[in-house]
Amino acid sequence: MNSTERFFISRYLHAPKRNLFRFSFIFMILGIVLSVGILSAGLNLFEGYERALKSVLLDSFAHLKVERSNGMYMQAEAVAKVERILGSQKEISSITPGIGFNVMAVDEDNTRGCIFNAYEPAQGKNPLYHKYVVKGSSRVEEGQVVIGQYLADDYRLAVGDSLRVLYPQLNRITPMGIYSGEHFLQVVGIYRSGFYEYDRGLIIGTLTDARNILFTNDLYSSVEVRLKSNSIEDVSKLAYQYSLLLGPELTVYPTVSTSLLQTITMQKWLIFIVFCFLVLIAGINVISAVITMIYDKQNEIAVLKTLGASNATIRKVINYQIYFVCLAAIIIGQAFGALLSWFVVKQGFYHLKGEVYFIDKLEHYISGFNLLVVFLVAAALTAICVWIPSRRINKLQIIDLLRNQ
Amino acid sequence: MNILSATGIDKSFKDSTQTIEVLRGATLEVEAGQMISITGQSGCGKSTLLHILGLLDDPDRGELRIKGASVRAKSSSAASIRNRDIGFVFQFHYLVEDLTAAENVALPLLISGQKFKDAIKEAYSMLQRLKLDERLHHYPNQLSGGEQQRVALARALITKPAIVLADEPTGNLDPANSLEVWKLMKMLNEELGQTFVIVTHDRDQAALADKTYELSDGKLHLL
Repeated sequence: MNSTERFFISRYLHAPKRNLFRFSFIFMILGIVLSVGILSAGLNLFEGYERALKSVLLDSFAHLKVERSNGMYMQAEAVAKVERILGSQKEISSITPGIGFNVMAVDEDNTRGCIFNAYEPAQGKNPLYHKYVVKGSSRVEEGQVVIGQYLADDYRLAVGDSLRVLYPQLNRITPMGIYSGEHFLQVVGIYRSGFYEYDRGLIIGTLTDARNILFTNDLYSSVEVRLKSNSIEDVSKLAYQYSLLLGPELTVYPTVSTSLLQTITMQKWLIFIVFCFLVLIAGINVISAVITMIYDKQNEIAVLKTLGASNATIRKVINYQIYFVCLAAIIIGQAFGALLSWFVVKQGFYHLKGEVYFIDKLEHYISGFNLLVVFLVAAALTAICVWIPSRRINKLQIIDLLRNQ
Repeated sequence: MNILSATGIDKSFKDSTQTIEVLRGATLEVEAGQMISITGQSGCGKSTLLHILGLLDDPDRGELRIKGASVRAKSSSAASIRNRDIGFVFQFHYLVEDLTAAENVALPLLISGQKFKDAIKEAYSMLQRLKLDERLHHYPNQLSGGEQQRVALARALITKPAIVLADEPTGNLDPANSLEVWKLMKMLNEELGQTFVIVTHDRDQAALADKTYELSDGKLHLL
């Protein structure tokens, strides 16, 4: 930018007759604010969804499971071997042996298949699911369970009530079939992770109860492994590596679907590309504003050309004036987008369907990277829309401009 | 020494039905320090001739020399010659609305690459010389017609050009302001030796110049 261009931009900002209030500028600004706002809000909501889903999927439960290859329960020695070998792996943040099996939760009106998970109690620490417990306690003792919010709501259970569970008694197989066993467990806590499947059908209890139900004494069904956050992307590769380390009698498999998370990330950027077209449509108003401005400023263009200003300088003077307004409109649009996504999250008219979207609450997240990407893309698109029509200035002849006055 | 010489200038305009020959071999020589007026009937081609002399348009035929060098409007050096050697005053002031009087005057210096601080200082001094020191920070719409035209004249003079070309500089002013602007140009010519070529349709005003030409039949005739 040379001294003439800098001079014009600074005077433009201080001129008493602000071009900002031109009719064509108002539509241009509105178009940019709305399109950038929608683009930003869409990205904020998708970012929030992606992060909420990742948080629920990755923060609260295991990333890998170790089981015996033949499907049988694991002895304490096998668990100790897993803890010894995997305990030295730098990617692993925790190793928790436990038991998981299917039960039926039953009351007068409902029968639902649920997963009963039980873990070794963490010594002096809160369990992993502690942060999701919304009522009661996260610590369970024999005969007690923590259940999901939807399960509690559907079965009209509160903290202190009893949950009736049925399970197959594998030691009572008769010619008439398998006898079911029955247990009453006291609800001591209710959690809400936001992940629909967990909130609807996961019961967390003690190892003692689990072994009583399964008649397994000191056995475990699996060892759950959590990875450090920077290693989660490599979960499939690590599962294979750990399988090799543990030998053929134990198998390791991932319990998180990284392809699901990748799909959601891809979906976010696809939405971004689609919404970028909105900015491009708003760019039509920018083109119109540039053409109007060139028409309105024919006098000035004629004077500047007569006084010896180059076409490039005049073009820059016009472009910078409009572009400055566009950049301000983009920033306002981003603020509007943040407000819009906040409103969408806070409004009470629409909620996500948990069975469709995995999580049942809308989240928004304003990431600095996304703000930068939206700003750069919108700035680049509007720059193109300013630059293309301004080339008309090259074709304007001084003599025609003067004669037309 | 000739500051400007135009020899055998032809210029015609075509429309859908006919070709109008406006200039036919017009020839003019202007020496440094001269004040020349060109008069003629409306539509005779006075402004067209001035545009050619000011490198705003090219003739169909003929040669234009400024300070001895042959020049053309479409050449790459035309813009810098216009900025450095020629000052323009038009019938309408053509001041930039968003700039103050002083900033408008400083504009040619800024375009030539001078620093704002130096340019505005020279603009203040020029406006003071033209008795506009009370109007330095006024915007064009806050000035009277006569003041606007005097600011335009200051802008034309700020680069100390070899020649000032004025196209009906008082055509838009009342008689009192008109006379004041003419007196100012005369004073600048006599005191500073500024060369002027002034186009006007008013023969009385034209008579104030050192030489007066009449443009008729596409040629210049010395009166």
